[in-house]
Amino acid sequence: MDGTALNQPWWIDLLKAAVVINVFLGVVAYATLIERKLLGRMQLRYGPNRAGPFGLLQPIADLVKMVRKEAFAPAAAADLLYIVSPLVAAFTALTSFALIPWGPVWSIGGYDVTGWVADVPIGLILLFALGSLGIYGFIVGGWASGSKYSLLGTMRTCAQMVSYEVSLALSVLGVVLMAGSLSLVDIAVRQQETVWFAGPQFIGFLVFFVAGVAETNRAPFDLPEAESELVAGYLTEYSGMRWGLFQLAEYANVVMLSGLTVTLFFGGWGGPGLPGPIWFAIKLACVLFVMIWIRATLPRLRYDQLMRFGWKVLLPVATLNALVTAILVVAV
Amino acid sequence: MILASLAGDVLVWVVWVVAAIALLASGFAVVLFRNPFHSALALILNLGSLAVLYLLLSAEFVAAAQVLVYAGAVMVMFLFVIAYLGGRADAPWASSQAAVRVAAVVTCVVLLAEVVLVIALDARDGLSSAAEITEGFGSPRELGRLFLGDNLLAFEVSSLVLLIGAVGGVILGATVRRGEVEE
Repeated sequence: MDGTALNQPWWIDLLKAAVVINVFLGVVAYATLIERKLLGRMQLRYGPNRAGPFGLLQPIADLVKMVRKEAFAPAAAADLLYIVSPLVAAFTALTSFALIPWGPVWSIGGYDVTGWVADVPIGLILLFALGSLGIYGFIVGGWASGSKYSLLGTMRTCAQMVSYEVSLALSVLGVVLMAGSLSLVDIAVRQQETVWFAGPQFIGFLVFFVAGVAETNRAPFDLPEAESELVAGYLTEYSGMRWGLFQLAEYANVVMLSGLTVTLFFGGWGGPGLPGPIWFAIKLACVLFVMIWIRATLPRLRYDQLMRFGWKVLLPVATLNALVTAILVVAV
Repeated sequence: MILASLAGDVLVWVVWVVAAIALLASGFAVVLFRNPFHSALALILNLGSLAVLYLLLSAEFVAAAQVLVYAGAVMVMFLFVIAYLGGRADAPWASSQAAVRVAAVVTCVVLLAEVVLVIALDARDGLSSAAEITEGFGSPRELGRLFLGDNLLAFEVSSLVLLIGAVGGVILGATVRRGEVEE
């Protein structure tokens, strides 16, 4: 969609941005509930079921609890960086969803309304750039806490991010080559015209998903906050809503990654019959379910296993995938 | 329409001023902070402000790559090493030899002279080739064509330099480990 004249005034953009950020926040809040419910069921428990019918008010109760809690800081950590870090993490995580397309272009009352907040020609790179800035929230937060557990969590975050970011970026290269564009809208449209890239780019998809789970610090890659070794890693010295913002950032990253998976490999909002946003929501829910399922199933990796897997398995496979795709795209 | 374009100009100007001030301030902060971790954070801010300036020059891809590679990946390694060394890491100026300091000052003076020269030339219309922003300027496609077409040799030479750096790092790391006593 490069500059094709869309009759979309600025106030529609503003309205859409407001709707998207609020829906996104709602999804993020309820992702925590769904995760706890599903984990409970998979472990033969009920999960939260006290606040409201089926525990549906649990995220709201959690929010009220976190806001009202005292946000105390260790004496060694009373520092601007300690306070800013959760904000950085939450801000970058929430911004990134503006780039994910969730619907086609509608024309309503003479105006064009696009199913995305922003379509930039380099959307994919911008998304990675935002993500790479977001991890500073975790790294600096852990360092500024002035606690050994937090510092160890920070070190692990650094090493893990650097190791898996490369594979993550390389794994989407195949998709970019096949779509011939870095714009997420173009990539989604291209799949709707041809085939979902999860098929021809199956290896790229696997690498992307594994590296993505590692990038979002989720089990079995949750070493930066391994509670049995590091208390809670970089989160150890945080409490109240500062802790809440870190959690928000983590779940926002998880939802964002699911959205990106849908956009890059499962045709975005495309699908028969139902409207685009509904299809997008269904696919998003499926990817989220798989991520929760993985958490409930797999035990945490040991640290050396994590590093070896990242550098000696994931990276070569991602490189080979990109190389083979490039040769095929040029040859065919 | 005129009002809108005027507002756009003012906005560009405001962003430029803010980014330029942030760039200078964070640059000074990098060398003035006592704590190396704070210096590294200032360097991230510095690289970020530079990306904003690239953005104002319509080089979107370069700006995003700058943030992703330098402000993102490279600086994470800096922070990792500084956090790993803990209190043993020195402030940027602390351990440098006199020769390094002299070299740094000389380099800065040369760069400053260059900047002054360019501004002077520009003021007297001495710069012949005016900037021309075409349709695909700054796009990954155009950039790739420049790298792998017109400037292939320079591109490959720089990749060789990076490779030498990487191999050198591995060799240095390996020798240190061989010297260590097995625990």
